[in-house]
Amino acid sequence: MSDVERLLAEYKRAHQEGGGADPSPFLARTSGVEREQLAALIDAYLEQAPRRAFDAAAFRDSPAAAVADSAHRTLAGSAGLWPVLLPRLRNQARIRRADLVAELAARLGAQSQQEKVATYYHEMEQGRLPASGVSDTVLEALGKIVGYGKDALRSAGQMPAPGGAAREAGAVYARTTPRLGGPAPEAEAPAAAAEPEEWDEVDRLFRAG
Amino acid sequence: MAGFQELPEHHLASLSDDQLIDYMRRAREAGRHDAMKPAISVLVYGYWDTLVNRARLKLPQADAEDVAGEAVASAIASAFDGKSMGEFRSWLHTILSRRIADYLESRKRKPRTTQLPSEHEREEEVWGSEPAVEFEGDALFARDCLRRAYEEIDDARHRRVVDLYLLGPHSAAETADLVGDGMTEANVHQISSRFQKRFKELLEGGNTSE
Repeated sequence: MSDVERLLAEYKRAHQEGGGADPSPFLARTSGVEREQLAALIDAYLEQAPRRAFDAAAFRDSPAAAVADSAHRTLAGSAGLWPVLLPRLRNQARIRRADLVAELAARLGAQSQQEKVATYYHEMEQGRLPASGVSDTVLEALGKIVGYGKDALRSAGQMPAPGGAAREAGAVYARTTPRLGGPAPEAEAPAAAAEPEEWDEVDRLFRAG
Repeated sequence: MAGFQELPEHHLASLSDDQLIDYMRRAREAGRHDAMKPAISVLVYGYWDTLVNRARLKLPQADAEDVAGEAVASAIASAFDGKSMGEFRSWLHTILSRRIADYLESRKRKPRTTQLPSEHEREEEVWGSEPAVEFEGDALFARDCLRRAYEEIDDARHRRVVDLYLLGPHSAAETADLVGDGMTEANVHQISSRFQKRFKELLEGGNTSE
């Protein structure tokens, strides 16, 4: 049995036993072509691996729980994939949220309202701010900070198409928008249709489309 | 909405991927957003390790989870857009491969603004370890060689051996039993060794990155 075959067998055993099975330590035991060979074989093996049986306790302690929360916010919220995409772009750009918010506020000419911009951005990441209300100006500014196109951000916010309105009592993601000076609008109400007088420029940028 | 019936978690865990997605779709249409959560959890947990570990092969550790998370959420969201995606697992891995490619492409476009973790080990802000495979080009080339070696196998039984034994979860003895038709454990080892030898030849023959 070659080293690659032996390491692949060891990796598969570790993967089947659970516990994450990070391939890095296995790859670290090879070099050159054999390393590439092992990486490709592990990649192909993982691609074919069946769905792991659900384990409620292990799930609760796993990073998968946070991902499931984000995926749920995507399906139940009003901002499409933003709950998943925005944190990922922020991490990828190596920008702390506070720094991103400061830069976003500056780009929007709203340095004096950084706190309000922070709240709106938080709602975007949480999937609670309707994507349709967020203006191109905001998306363009945000896209420049995280290195992502305005149109791609818009598309992500619209995916998937809206489903049925939440019916459960006390629904967490019932299409609410933050209470920032103005009254909270009715669920699903188009923000621009009934713009409260209290809205300022920042409100309009994030809610009026 | 009539027609949607909430199922207990243990029942959801026994459903296929397609059945889970159908369940989520019906829950969403019925406005029962809370009922989607356990089904999403079963699906995400079921594929989490494989997605993250595939991403770890090509991306820095800290980014692997983010990219895997976006891939699984995108794949689930796609299922709600009425797009034809075929088998969910294949679709999921296709999306992951695209997200990894997007990530690497965005890295190429942007000048690197931060150091690699190994360059600032003592600093508080560490973004995780570096990717397991240094160059995406090498990883793509290796997968292409693997595919070519596989396509060169004429005998369907031999392909099945590669699927079940080398790239699957079965032992040589189990594989021999599953393939049947006179296949022995020794044959399984021979087929696997021959396949890997050919794979390595292709890798060595065309790899110009060394």
